[in-house]
Amino acid sequence: MLRNTTDSWGAGAKFFHWLMAALIVFQIMLGVMAVTWPVSPTKLDLFVWHKSFGVLILTLAALRLLWRFANPTPELPDGMAAWERAAARVSHFLLYLLMIALPVTGWIINSAANIPFRVFWLVPLPPVVAPDKALADLFAQVHGGLALALVVVLVAHIGAALRHHFIKHDKVLVRMLPGG
Amino acid sequence: MKKKTAWLGLCGLLLAGALPAAQPAEWKMDPAGSKLEFVATFEKTPAPGVFKEFDARLRFDPEQPAGGSLDVTVKVTSADMSIPDVNKEIRGKDWFDYAGFPQAEFRSTDLRRAQGNRYVARGTLSLKGAKQAVEVPFTWTGDAERATMEGELTLKRGAFGIGAGEWAATSVIGADVKVKFTVKLRKAG
Repeated sequence: MLRNTTDSWGAGAKFFHWLMAALIVFQIMLGVMAVTWPVSPTKLDLFVWHKSFGVLILTLAALRLLWRFANPTPELPDGMAAWERAAARVSHFLLYLLMIALPVTGWIINSAANIPFRVFWLVPLPPVVAPDKALADLFAQVHGGLALALVVVLVAHIGAALRHHFIKHDKVLVRMLPGG
Repeated sequence: MKKKTAWLGLCGLLLAGALPAAQPAEWKMDPAGSKLEFVATFEKTPAPGVFKEFDARLRFDPEQPAGGSLDVTVKVTSADMSIPDVNKEIRGKDWFDYAGFPQAEFRSTDLRRAQGNRYVARGTLSLKGAKQAVEVPFTWTGDAERATMEGELTLKRGAFGIGAGEWAATSVIGADVKVKFTVKLRKAG
């Protein structure tokens, strides 16, 4: 089934979930490498890869949100405490927010820093703000802070999924697996 | 007495007739409106810059370009690529090496007309300690008092050692650098 039902994720939602999971983990590593690499042609290439994947993730996040709104969302299992339901809602909201906010703040840095850039060396990315060194520095801080927040929320997300499976013994993790 | 006067008269005639032909007009650059730009490529994307300070001196008669000359000095340290991080990098030894080679020069060896108002100055460009023969094509528009020279040429950055070490590879920073100029001139004197 391509579409979700009220108690199962469809192939569409699973595709977005796992493709973006892989891209986001890779993207965080690329970002750390790009920032810490000594100035060299390799560093510049790492930044092009990081920015290109950012644009890809932003595009996928937009499509994924549209797909989510066009589908029913599987319900949480019975017997979850109110705080658990609230934690699930807040953490998922934060994940979507960060999937959008990280690429957008990156785009602002690139525009403010006035660095020539083509997505995957092909398509020029139009600037969203005028060149401004102070703004670029400020958004570099914001971008780094958001990336750290993403790592924290991801750890909570993965921890919660494992808790559902191994401690609560419900089907929350299994129903997102490709065969589940 | 008569003979002496005749000689002086003859010399005067010769000087009056010969000097203007041998000395083409001198032109001085008007920095306002003059521009020296360069466009490198950065990850397959154009990366423009300017040299804010440069000066051109020209002896030139558009009808007889052969006797003229073009000398350009460029303050390399006035380069501006409008990205603070990049401006910091290009000062270094691997790039322009501001400390070692603060100035570049072009000295023409000959000027000729290509066609109509298009001319070519052939000469030597000294940049970052390297001397290379280059041809500078330009168009000439103007009148007897004011004129504009415009042109563009493409240089290989590698020929001048700009981008040393691992930057010599041209996949990230391209080999070709386009140089574009607009020089506003006023007749001197």
